[in-house]
Amino acid sequence: MAGTPYPKLQMHRFAYTKLTPEQIQAKLTPAAIRGPSCASPMSDVFANKSLKIVTDKGPVLNYRFKGPNRLTLSEGDAKPVDAGYGALTQDKIAFFAHLIPGTQRGYAVVIDQATQLATVFELWFSGYQDNREVQREIYQGYVEQAGSPPDKRHVTTNRMEGHAYHWTQDNGAETLEFFPSAAYSHFVELSRLGGELGYCAPSDYIKLDDDFYLYARVECEFSGTLTLYAIDLNRLQQMGLRLGFDARDQLEYYVFRGDAEWLGQIAQFEKFGDIAGNVVPPPKDAKKGERRVYRPLLTMPKMTRDEVNAAVAKKTTVFPPPGAGPQMAGNSLPSTGYLAGKSLALRYDDGLVMEYRFDGPEDLQWRRDGGDWIKARYKAWEPAPGVINFGHLLEGAPDHDGHMIVADFDRALFTCFNGHLNTPFFANEAGVKVRFGVVEMEGLTPPEYDRHGFTDELLGRALTWNYAPGLTSMHLYSTPHSMSWIIFTEAGAGGLEWSGPAAYVKIRDGLYYMYWLEEACNGTLGTIVINLRTLHDSGIGYHCGAEGLSMSAVGAHMRHAGRFDILKFHQPKTEGTQA
Amino acid sequence: MSAPATSSRRSFLKGGAIAAAPLAVALPAAALATADHKARARQLQDRAEIAALHQAWLRKLAAGADASALFADAKASQLGPTVHGVAADHSGEADRIDVAADGLSALGRFAVTVDLHTELPRTSTLAQMAHLQGGGVVRHAEARTLEARYVKQAGAWAIAKLALAEA
Repeated sequence: MAGTPYPKLQMHRFAYTKLTPEQIQAKLTPAAIRGPSCASPMSDVFANKSLKIVTDKGPVLNYRFKGPNRLTLSEGDAKPVDAGYGALTQDKIAFFAHLIPGTQRGYAVVIDQATQLATVFELWFSGYQDNREVQREIYQGYVEQAGSPPDKRHVTTNRMEGHAYHWTQDNGAETLEFFPSAAYSHFVELSRLGGELGYCAPSDYIKLDDDFYLYARVECEFSGTLTLYAIDLNRLQQMGLRLGFDARDQLEYYVFRGDAEWLGQIAQFEKFGDIAGNVVPPPKDAKKGERRVYRPLLTMPKMTRDEVNAAVAKKTTVFPPPGAGPQMAGNSLPSTGYLAGKSLALRYDDGLVMEYRFDGPEDLQWRRDGGDWIKARYKAWEPAPGVINFGHLLEGAPDHDGHMIVADFDRALFTCFNGHLNTPFFANEAGVKVRFGVVEMEGLTPPEYDRHGFTDELLGRALTWNYAPGLTSMHLYSTPHSMSWIIFTEAGAGGLEWSGPAAYVKIRDGLYYMYWLEEACNGTLGTIVINLRTLHDSGIGYHCGAEGLSMSAVGAHMRHAGRFDILKFHQPKTEGTQA
Repeated sequence: MSAPATSSRRSFLKGGAIAAAPLAVALPAAALATADHKARARQLQDRAEIAALHQAWLRKLAAGADASALFADAKASQLGPTVHGVAADHSGEADRIDVAADGLSALGRFAVTVDLHTELPRTSTLAQMAHLQGGGVVRHAEARTLEARYVKQAGAWAIAKLALAEA
């Protein structure tokens, strides 16, 4: 029996080994001599040739290719070294990659044989506190020829922004790759990890010409692996390099080919005419290879259960007034008094009965399974007629639960996103249980069988959210179980990006209730009702940090940014498990 | 005595005549005319110097240059952390410079457009990421009135204090 494709721990939960430089060197040395492997036949385009590659503000690389997989490199005037290499071609674009024996460095080079322009990626390990994370510096240049050097260069660009592809590599690896940012990318590992969640990585996008582009990502915060490839946009083919250490610390060092299916393009938000790359410039006085990398696991506060309990006891904030909260409700819907004066019960399908007395528009009493009444502050919004989104904390709950609820009073149905703390990895990281049930209230007859349910109708959509001046993001719903968010730069380019687990519930046609968890990333639980017709949401955030526990409003103006056609990659497989 | 910098010569003379009226009782006409002429000339000169000082300050601000040398006290040269630019607003009220009777201090009021940069509080993941990528700032322009106080030190005008008021 082949087993399931899912890892025991997802990438953001996996404790990748902190490899030492010595451990890395031990694995690189034989690989550098041998050269990369490839599942496809490699090219002999460089065999028995010599190339001098001149780069701007970078090295001069003197190559002598002794055959299809052996080369000699002199960096400037340095002593020549022998190495194994692998080369591939795609139309006029030639690519080769190699490591340098005795070092933790190497190069990946792309040459346009028509123009002799070259892009050189210098690659190295042990350049960041996590030694396994591949570092890169990019040099533009050319292959030296007789006559004057060319004026043009390959350039960084945003022209790949918004694209997405389904790639199948020659080694069988299958991925969905989304480029909703010009500085990051989002990828779903269909074959390696089962496609349950998507992940994000800082990325480079370089225009070779209007038909060919170069893309590279490094899986920072995870394995540190580099994936770099040239894309032939017309033929939907790729060739490139994968370099890094996998979850078992095995070296991945191979060149590959692949074929793609075009999944569409979502909107770009830069001004027309703006095709600039480098949309997130490196920090001032950046060291070689340094760029702005979002490292949420590294920087998030990590609290114990005792610390969480103390923080919650010290300060709990429920719907702070405008300006006092996390600024995510600047464009919130007006709150509603719809529930004021009502009494009702929410009968959960899992047996819980929560009774409510709504004393006013922001004050309620609740009791669980006929217990004592407890007062709580709440807020409510009406994202669609008769649909009420409200939330409150459950004072006294050992895991500091918060109920975020959408109740449809036309159908007497509700969905509760039951947020809680004291989760297994970090106690301040929110967890969530999705709970369905019916509304019992005078004048309402709830259905016997009908319920809200999970949906894939948002799958592949991208929606922008403007919460307040200067606070705009885009959501990309890349799998039925995860969501990626992209932060726009001031020029409207997609900048930093991250992702987390998510779920999507259909309330009505065009009306959805979703949550996302910022796991290994601040620990926030975000919940919003999305109205695709009014282009608005209403939502509630639930967060615990050293400053205490908070429940706060979320509200933003929405724009449709497009949709990728990815439903078929997430359909339940009916073939059954192969024996 | 004071007058708007952009007032007409007629209104300026009228104001000057009123201010000088008490002197007419004691002084002969020729002496009166000479004193009045000198006072007016001094005031015109003061206003021209202050206007030039204001323009110099605007230019330094636009160039991102250090303007502290234009101030009586270098510590008073900052308008606040949110102000990242000030430019003349030619659609606003006319500039006004009022020089004190002793010629040692003056007040100026200038219509300006202010570029304000308000840093987003880092209280959400979104804001934290915006800051990390070099943003996290809300920029907007507002029409304001620049209220300036000037002092004459060692025969030269310097800016004593600047404040921005609602236009």
